[in-house]
Amino acid sequence: MLDYVYTGWGAFSATMFMFVPFALMAYYVIRRKSLVDTGPTSLQPSEFAPLEGIWLTFAFIFFVVVNLASLKFIPWATASAAVTGEPEVHVDFTAKSWSYDISNRQIEAGKPVRFSGRSSDTQHGFAVYHPDGRVLFTMLMMPNTAKPTSVVYTFKEPGKYKVRCLEYCGIAHHAMQDELTVVKSN
Amino acid sequence: MSIASAIVNNTPIFGKMFTVDKSTGLEEINAWPALMIMSSFVWLAVAGLLGLVMPTTQIFDLSSDHFYTTLTLHGAALTFPFSFQLMMGVGLHRSGGCVGKAITGWLPALSWLSMNLGAAILTVAVLMGLKVSVVVMFPLPLVGAQMGIWSMESVIVGFTGIYLVLSCMILWYPLLVFKMLFFGKKRAELVLSERSLNEPGMLGMILAAATLLLTGLPLVVVGTTLLLALYKIIPMSLAAWAAEPVVFQYTFYLFAHNLMEAMALMVASAMYATLPLYLADGSRKLYSEKLANLALWILLVTSVTSGLHHFITFYPNQPAALSYWGNIMSWGTGLGAAISIFTVLATIWQHGLKAEPGIIAVLVGWALYILDGASAIVTSNIVWTYQLHGTMWQSGHFMTVILAMSMMWMGVLYHHYPVLTGRKLDPALGRLYIKMMTIGSFGAAIVMLAGGAAGMPRRFAAWNQEGWMLYGHLILIFGLILGASFVVYLYNLMKSREISAPMGELARA
Repeated sequence: MLDYVYTGWGAFSATMFMFVPFALMAYYVIRRKSLVDTGPTSLQPSEFAPLEGIWLTFAFIFFVVVNLASLKFIPWATASAAVTGEPEVHVDFTAKSWSYDISNRQIEAGKPVRFSGRSSDTQHGFAVYHPDGRVLFTMLMMPNTAKPTSVVYTFKEPGKYKVRCLEYCGIAHHAMQDELTVVKSN
Repeated sequence: MSIASAIVNNTPIFGKMFTVDKSTGLEEINAWPALMIMSSFVWLAVAGLLGLVMPTTQIFDLSSDHFYTTLTLHGAALTFPFSFQLMMGVGLHRSGGCVGKAITGWLPALSWLSMNLGAAILTVAVLMGLKVSVVVMFPLPLVGAQMGIWSMESVIVGFTGIYLVLSCMILWYPLLVFKMLFFGKKRAELVLSERSLNEPGMLGMILAAATLLLTGLPLVVVGTTLLLALYKIIPMSLAAWAAEPVVFQYTFYLFAHNLMEAMALMVASAMYATLPLYLADGSRKLYSEKLANLALWILLVTSVTSGLHHFITFYPNQPAALSYWGNIMSWGTGLGAAISIFTVLATIWQHGLKAEPGIIAVLVGWALYILDGASAIVTSNIVWTYQLHGTMWQSGHFMTVILAMSMMWMGVLYHHYPVLTGRKLDPALGRLYIKMMTIGSFGAAIVMLAGGAAGMPRRFAAWNQEGWMLYGHLILIFGLILGASFVVYLYNLMKSREISAPMGELARA
C-alpha cells in the first residue's frame, strides 16, 4: 500500500485526506453558526482546551508518521549500491537546450541504474515516465556546478520510457524529449 | 486633492469603482490605498485575459510562442501588480485606520510607481520576446540572448522592470509599513479601529514586512550587481559572482519563497483582524489571541528556511541535509495552519457569525489557502517531490496560493470599501461572486493538482499533443467561471451606491 501512497496519485490522495475533513468541518461550523444557531455557545472556554490538544496532537503525529514512512522511499537513501548490494549500471547524460546526450538508452529491467546528469547551458529537468504515463522520478540540473545530479532507479518492467524536461527552458521546452528502452534481463 | 485621488478620478472605468470619498476627512488614509487597489484590478483584468489565452492557444494549436508569451505575462501580472499590490493597498488602508496615521509622502508614491512602472516595463520586455516565465529561470534570460532566442536589449529592459517591482516589494513597501507602525504621531481623527501592535491583526503585518525586507536584501544586492553590469556601469567580470546560477538560485528562492509566506502572514493577520468584527454576539474576540499569534510565529520561523525544498531534486549536486531541512520546515508550517484552523473555527463556534459577503469571501479564501497548504507540504516531502516537481501540481500550488490570498483580500476589501469610497456594495452580487469564485477556484486548483499527479508538465506548450488536454479543458472551464466571478465582483464595485450616513462615523462604529 505504501508503494501507492508515495506516488503522484498518492500525493493527491494525501492532500485530499487532509483537506476534505477540514472542508466538511469548516462548512458545518460556519453554516451552523451563521444560519442555524447564531448565538454564543454554552461551552466554556476551558472546555475547548482538550479539543485543542487532541487536534494539534493528531496533526503533529500525522505529519511525523507520513514523513517517517516516506524515508524508505527516498531515492538516495534506498536505491544505492551500498543498500541493495547490486552493482549499478551507469547512465550519464548532458542536457542542452533542447535535447539530451545520453550515454546508453537501452537498459535491463531489474538492475539498478544510476542516472547522472549535467546541464551545459541553463536549468533543465530529466523526468522519466512509465509507459502508462506516470512520472517515475524527476531530476533538476543546474549549470556550472561541481557535481552532477544523480538518481538510482531500478526499472521493473520492459517497455519504452519517455524522458521529458520538466523545467521551463525556453521556447522549445516542450520538444525537449527522449526515450529509454528497458529490456528483459538476461 | 492628492495626486493619488486625481489619478483615480481620471482613470476610465476602474476609476469610477474607487473614487475616493473626501467628505469624511479620511483622504489621507484613503487615497494611496484606493489607487493601489484600483491599479491591482486593472492588472487582474490583463492577467485574466492572458490566463484564458493559454489553454486557447493549445486548443487551437497556435504557435507555442504565444503560449510562452502569455505564460510569462499572466504569471507576472497575477503575482506582482495584482496580488501583491492588492495586498499592499488593502493592508495599508487597514493599518492606517488601526494606528491613526496618514498614508502620504514619497514612500507610498514610490511603492505604487515602482510596482506599476516595473510591471509595465517587464510587459514591454516580454512583448520584445523575453519569455522567461514568472520565476525568471536564471540563467535562461542570458542563455536565451546568447542563443539568439531573444535580444539582449529585451533582457536589459526585463531586468529593469523586475528590479523596479522587487524594489517595491523588498524596500519601499516594508519601509512604509515600518514608518507607519513605529514612527510618526497618531492622529485621533484618523483612528478608525484602534489596535495594538501585539494583536494578531497587526503582528502578522510586522512579521511579513520584516520577512520581505530581510530575505529580499541578498536578492537586491545580486540584482543591483547584475543590472549595473548589464548597463555597463561596472565590468561584467565584477558581476560574474552574481551571475553564477547557484548564487542566483539561492538568493532568488530565499526571497521568492518567503514572498509567498510573507503574503500569507499578512493575509492571515488581516483575517484575524476582520473575523472578530463579524461575530454574531458582538464580542469582537478571537478564541485565543495567544494561539493566533503562536500560529503566526510558527509560520514565520518554519517558512524562512522551508524554501530549501526547491533544491531537493538537485541531489547530490546540492546537499541532502538542505533537502531534509526544507522537508521538515515545510511540514512545520502545517502546524501553524493546524493552529489557525482551530482558532478560526473555535472563534466562530464560540461567538456565532454574521454571514456577510465580505467575511464569507475571506473564509472561502482561507479554505482555499488550507487546500493549497496541504498540497504544498505534500510536495515538499522528499519522496513526493521526486514525483511532482515540475508538473502541474506546482502550477496548481502557485496559482492557488495567489488566488487564495487575493480572495481573502477581496473579502477584506468588502469591509473597507465603504470607508474608501463612501459607497456600499450589493450583498446579492456579493453572494453570487462567492458562489462562482468558490466553484472556479476550487475546481481549477483540484484539476491542476490532479493533472500534476497524472504527470502533466507545467509551463508546457504541447498538452494537446501529449494527451493531457482533458485537464487543459477543465482548467479552461473553471478558469472561465473564475473569470466571470471577478467580472461580477467588479460589476458590484461599478454599481455601488452612495451611503447617506457619514462614513467616518460608520467606519468607527
